[in-house]
Amino acid sequence: MVISRALGARIKRREDPRLITGTATYVDDVVPPGLLHVAIVRSPHAHARIAAIDVKKASAAAGVVAIWTGEDVAARCGPLPIGPRIRDMKVPKRYPLVIDGVVRHVGDPVAAVVATDLAAARDAADLVEVTYEPLAAVTEVEAAMRPDALVIHPELQTNVCFRVTYGGSVDEAFATADATVSLRLIQQRLVPTAMETRGVVAQFKGGELTLWTSTQIPHVVKTTVAETVRLPEHQMRVIAPEVGGGFGSKLDVYGEEALLAALAIALGRPVKWVETRRENFMATTHGRGQVVYVDAAATRDGTITGLRVRVLADIGAYSQLLSAAVPTNTGLMSCGSYRIPHAFAEVIGVFTNCTPTGAYRGAGRPEATFLIERAVDAVARALTLDPAEIRRRNFIPPEAFPFKTPTGATYDSGNYEPALDQALQMAGYKTLRDEQRRLWAQGRYLGIGISSYVEITGLGAAAALPGGSWESATVRVEPTGKVTVLTGSSPHGQGEETTFAQIVSDRLGVSVDDVVVIHGDTRAVPYGVGTFGSRNTAVGGSAVFIASDRVREKAVRIAAHLLEAPPDDVVSDGARFHVRGSPQRAVEFKDVARTAYKGAKLPPGTEPGLEVTHFFAPPDRVFPFGTHVCVVEVDSQTGEVMIRRYVAVDDCGTILNPLLVAGQVHGGIAQGLAQALFEEAVYDESGQLLTAGLPDYAVPKAAQLPPFELGHTVTPSPHNPLGAKGVGEAGTIGATPAVVNAVLDALAPFGVSHLDMPLTSRKIWEAIRAGGGQRGNRSASRPSP
Amino acid sequence: MKVEGTYTLPAPRQRVWELLNDPAVLARATPGVKELQPQGNDVFKAIIELGIGPVKGTYAGQVSIADKVAPQHMRLIVEGGGKPGTIKASGELRLEEQDGRTVIAYSGDAQITGLIASVGHRLIGGVAKQMAAEFFKALERELTR
Repeated sequence: MVISRALGARIKRREDPRLITGTATYVDDVVPPGLLHVAIVRSPHAHARIAAIDVKKASAAAGVVAIWTGEDVAARCGPLPIGPRIRDMKVPKRYPLVIDGVVRHVGDPVAAVVATDLAAARDAADLVEVTYEPLAAVTEVEAAMRPDALVIHPELQTNVCFRVTYGGSVDEAFATADATVSLRLIQQRLVPTAMETRGVVAQFKGGELTLWTSTQIPHVVKTTVAETVRLPEHQMRVIAPEVGGGFGSKLDVYGEEALLAALAIALGRPVKWVETRRENFMATTHGRGQVVYVDAAATRDGTITGLRVRVLADIGAYSQLLSAAVPTNTGLMSCGSYRIPHAFAEVIGVFTNCTPTGAYRGAGRPEATFLIERAVDAVARALTLDPAEIRRRNFIPPEAFPFKTPTGATYDSGNYEPALDQALQMAGYKTLRDEQRRLWAQGRYLGIGISSYVEITGLGAAAALPGGSWESATVRVEPTGKVTVLTGSSPHGQGEETTFAQIVSDRLGVSVDDVVVIHGDTRAVPYGVGTFGSRNTAVGGSAVFIASDRVREKAVRIAAHLLEAPPDDVVSDGARFHVRGSPQRAVEFKDVARTAYKGAKLPPGTEPGLEVTHFFAPPDRVFPFGTHVCVVEVDSQTGEVMIRRYVAVDDCGTILNPLLVAGQVHGGIAQGLAQALFEEAVYDESGQLLTAGLPDYAVPKAAQLPPFELGHTVTPSPHNPLGAKGVGEAGTIGATPAVVNAVLDALAPFGVSHLDMPLTSRKIWEAIRAGGGQRGNRSASRPSP
Repeated sequence: MKVEGTYTLPAPRQRVWELLNDPAVLARATPGVKELQPQGNDVFKAIIELGIGPVKGTYAGQVSIADKVAPQHMRLIVEGGGKPGTIKASGELRLEEQDGRTVIAYSGDAQITGLIASVGHRLIGGVAKQMAAEFFKALERELTR
């Protein structure tokens, strides 16, 4: 076994120098000769019939090469496939790339204008005259579910897209409970706002289509777009160059990807479209968007005996790749970290005249964590129990793993109490509670919020994507002993060029600097799945791990042959191999590599070369967990929230690189806290998106974030050789309920028990003035018999 | 988006009513109107230039007058579209005579789309109020022409 310090080392991301010096290549940096530019005309209406499109003026404008409306597109490509189907799911038969009949949300594409430069394309787009006959719009799930609601897809005769249930009857648990709590929670819509908006360049040359696209799933885009534009898949290449963030919003196959492919084929010239920020707000999937009803039943000592959950998920106008899959995670994960004997969750997906929803950092698990963590706090409050104590009392005990929840998830491994203890200790919980009482007496409102989460990573989304839950890797040792890794997983900021090199270094004993990691080009790397659900390390990294081990096994056989020793006697130490007990009888790794390619000195019957491809398919998903503690002070005069402390203890299994884990946790907390306090996509009743840009959509600035105090426990997963789980989304999942619970704790003296996010100072100020909570929280406590 | 208010003009109701029904007066008094061409039946083709905060644009559409009850009531309907989006506004004017003066009570509502909605929505209420005030001031000037 190689002994190396590469795994677990604090190695700086090798991606960063090019990112911070502006030398990275994004889609917009790709400029093939003869490039044409595309601007897309989008609907300003949430719901309208297109009566006419007049392109005469636009066609005559300087520089215009082509204008395609919905009919032109339909003649050249098939519709985009609709996301994975849930049983009895109702979806429209076709989902056109460019709308030719009825627009169903603000931002729906109605025409594409191609011109010789970007300004000409945008100016001509303004000259396209579309006559709309506006229709009434429905923007809220509960309104869309009413029997008299207008139906967005008339052929479906309903706005309900699907209904799934998890778990079984909870009636008895509620009938025999000492206390019950009921909450109605709004998961506001969020706009993922990746720093780089979406963009596509398509070039058709020599019978091959190359598509550069800012995506998390280049292989899926290749297969899907090839089918849509009716091109044999082997004549299609997709390149995801540098991707400037995605957070789930680029985990989709979008109409523009197929549209640009079709334009490049038809026009015989390369075409480019890069989304404006306004388009990004209207035309890229949103996150969250749920109305959640949760009831919890408990005995007097705080044991939670029953949970009933109803999730009304806003699908938006169309069910895209993951619109339906994301909210089902909420139902599946609704029991959180707790041993709740009886649980029932139903998830109902509903169409609205809003931008389609999709994955956004956490994708269904933040919503699940929020509902259970709010409910647990509500039970604690109803029974006057300490929020830390009630969590401890209900945790799934370590000996119960693998643990199957009543909603059907099987948690691989976990040990929840040490993470809670560590977080409480780091925060100084007891001292904080004393300080809270002292400050309350002085009219200062300190609040302490706890959130203990468990989530799913190593996600397969097997039904959602061609292939399934695996990931691929090729580890190729070059003749000089340097190593090239080809990975099927395509990052958008995860840092796998660094961590995968660490894995190879650990397994082969070569220096991290002697390993290069190639990704994102479907011509260069084996078919892969993609980057989402914090799966890169656990699944993609494990593929690299196993491929590296197989390379080492072959290298040992070759070394043994060169050393004239049996393979079992050959030991690898760093970059050399020696015979056990005789360190001087050694051969360098690079000499083994050269031998592998020269062939002459290979052991008889050995295939030349030193390269292994492995497709790693984990047996199941893995479940990271942790506890976050947030300490806030609320200014009762202004309603402003100041975050005084933020402690996060995350257990993501084996840690490959603490720097990268910290980076992921920092970014994750920032986004979770943003949902709690700042961000919200707002539609007016006619379906206009009022927050259609960064001036109106409150992405927090660094100065609005607290310092993060991080801790870890390590509970390896049994499902992969690294023991890794994943940490890309944990921060977001833990943070939102921690912050909200902290603010509500601070507001307890005012009798405020519920507020909907984002917790703006105005909402808080009004609640303090009203001297009570908003409607929505009904809690009942049975008197003792 | 709703606006309402009152404005008092120093003229009898019949005189004010005549002004309101004179296309030339409407063209001069309505802020931003670049063109107003009668199409018959109280319908006018209009080109209006309008700035709502940072959202500036030219809107082509029509202005029509409906529900006329001389000399006390009318409804003004403005529909237009341009680069920044579309506007559909409807305003009700009630005229009452008090001691030889005319009190106009107005109330209006508008549906907006596009950039006007997403960027201009915070400002449009104020802009509408200001435009109403400018309109009535201009009408007052017309009295002395």
